[in-house]
Amino acid sequence: MKPSVILVGADKGGVGKTTIARAVLDYLNSNNIVARGFDTEFPRGTLNRFHPEQTSVVDLTSTSDQMRILDTLNTAQVKVTVIDVRAGGLSLALQALEDTGFLDAVHAGEFNFLIFHVLGSSIASLDEIEEIAPFVEDAHYFLVKNHVNDTTFFEWDPLTHTKYFEKVMTSGEMTIPKLNEMSYEQVEIAGVPFSTFVADRTAEGEPAGQSFVLRGYVRTWLNRIADEFDRVQLLGLVAPRDAKAGKAGKER
Amino acid sequence: MKRRANVFIVCSPSARVGVSTTARLLTDYYLLTNTEPAGYDTDPHEPRYAPYFPDRVRVLDVSDIRGQIVLFDGLLADDNRPKIVDVWHRSFPRFFETVQDIGFIEEALRRDVEPVVLYHADGGRASLEGAWALHEHWPELTMMIVHNEGASPLEPEEIEIFHRYPAQGRFVIAPLPAPVVRALSDTTLSLSEFLRSPPVDMSIVVRAAIKAWIAPIFAQFQSFELRRQLESSNYL
Repeated sequence: MKPSVILVGADKGGVGKTTIARAVLDYLNSNNIVARGFDTEFPRGTLNRFHPEQTSVVDLTSTSDQMRILDTLNTAQVKVTVIDVRAGGLSLALQALEDTGFLDAVHAGEFNFLIFHVLGSSIASLDEIEEIAPFVEDAHYFLVKNHVNDTTFFEWDPLTHTKYFEKVMTSGEMTIPKLNEMSYEQVEIAGVPFSTFVADRTAEGEPAGQSFVLRGYVRTWLNRIADEFDRVQLLGLVAPRDAKAGKAGKER
Repeated sequence: MKRRANVFIVCSPSARVGVSTTARLLTDYYLLTNTEPAGYDTDPHEPRYAPYFPDRVRVLDVSDIRGQIVLFDGLLADDNRPKIVDVWHRSFPRFFETVQDIGFIEEALRRDVEPVVLYHADGGRASLEGAWALHEHWPELTMMIVHNEGASPLEPEEIEIFHRYPAQGRFVIAPLPAPVVRALSDTTLSLSEFLRSPPVDMSIVVRAAIKAWIAPIFAQFQSFELRRQLESSNYL
């Protein structure tokens, strides 16, 4: 199985990058794909708080941490790596990956590289796409529209689409539905993965006694995200059963 | 024999079809049989069920997540008490949306809690369509239709419509003369207490009418319960 790296990021803050990274880890875990996470919110990591056993906090600009991630891609037992890029760090992270030769290795077919570019509801998010375009040629580049609040998402009208997408090739878009505030807050307080919250367990595996209503909302929300990941064939990309499955069609 | 806790969802998409009356009757039926029911009234503005049982019926708003937590977590509480929900017609869509969103029916069945919909039927198309929508979404859900003849009277030839509902059975609540209705609207009048010891200051005619009205309704509730117990018996 070829090692895969899933980079979750955005150059804009507050768009829910870590939420997506957590959902990705939950999805992979629930499909028996063992994954490891790297949280680049150095020195304190939010992803690490929810998935401490499979996540490390790293500084992506530090050579030793770059080695820790990239030099172990081939040797680690775990073949899927999820990197949660800190706010505003997507361009820098991609630049660092280019500087280390990782993008060349992806071009040579050594690794699968997936980028989940999490977009906010403002047009500023679209400007990021242009900046990232030079780095995504060999990646499976997904645009993730994350409905973190009730604001209306910008519409993908034809003019906007043409302006921003003529220079970038994407593997598709994903839409992440909104989770109501109270459910989200309760998971935050619990400090456990979404799936653990749904199962009404604490981090130690004890019964948590959470509200069934809140767990129900989280379960439905998580299922809808899983439907989106299924739709873009995420499993086929990170753990292809045959050569064809790894080559998801790209759309312009 | 495996006993399943019942959750009665007393509802209708239509107004003034006798939903709160049924919730009240069912609560009093259980009180008369020395069972401790818990009730929920989903009309936060003008509750019509809760005033009869201020100590055992909670008023909540199902459009508010705190109200949903009180309601649905309460319905799943493992306390072996029958639960009765009066679903106000304006809360009807939101109630079932939430039921769907949180997977309530599936979770209830998993926990040996049996939701029973007491669907108040009337002659309208919306009522029939609403019942079918619920049935198509949750085919495993037990649905009984309730026809309150006083609240939604139908002509004899219109009664045929009830055969078109996807229900396992029907409860009929007979109409009452106006003076008796007035007597029943007194929120301090407990029907279970009335049956144990009728108030001496009440008109003898009204007392007789109420007794005659309640008896067949409670007989229907009892038949339903017995049938459910027989159905869940391991020995038949």
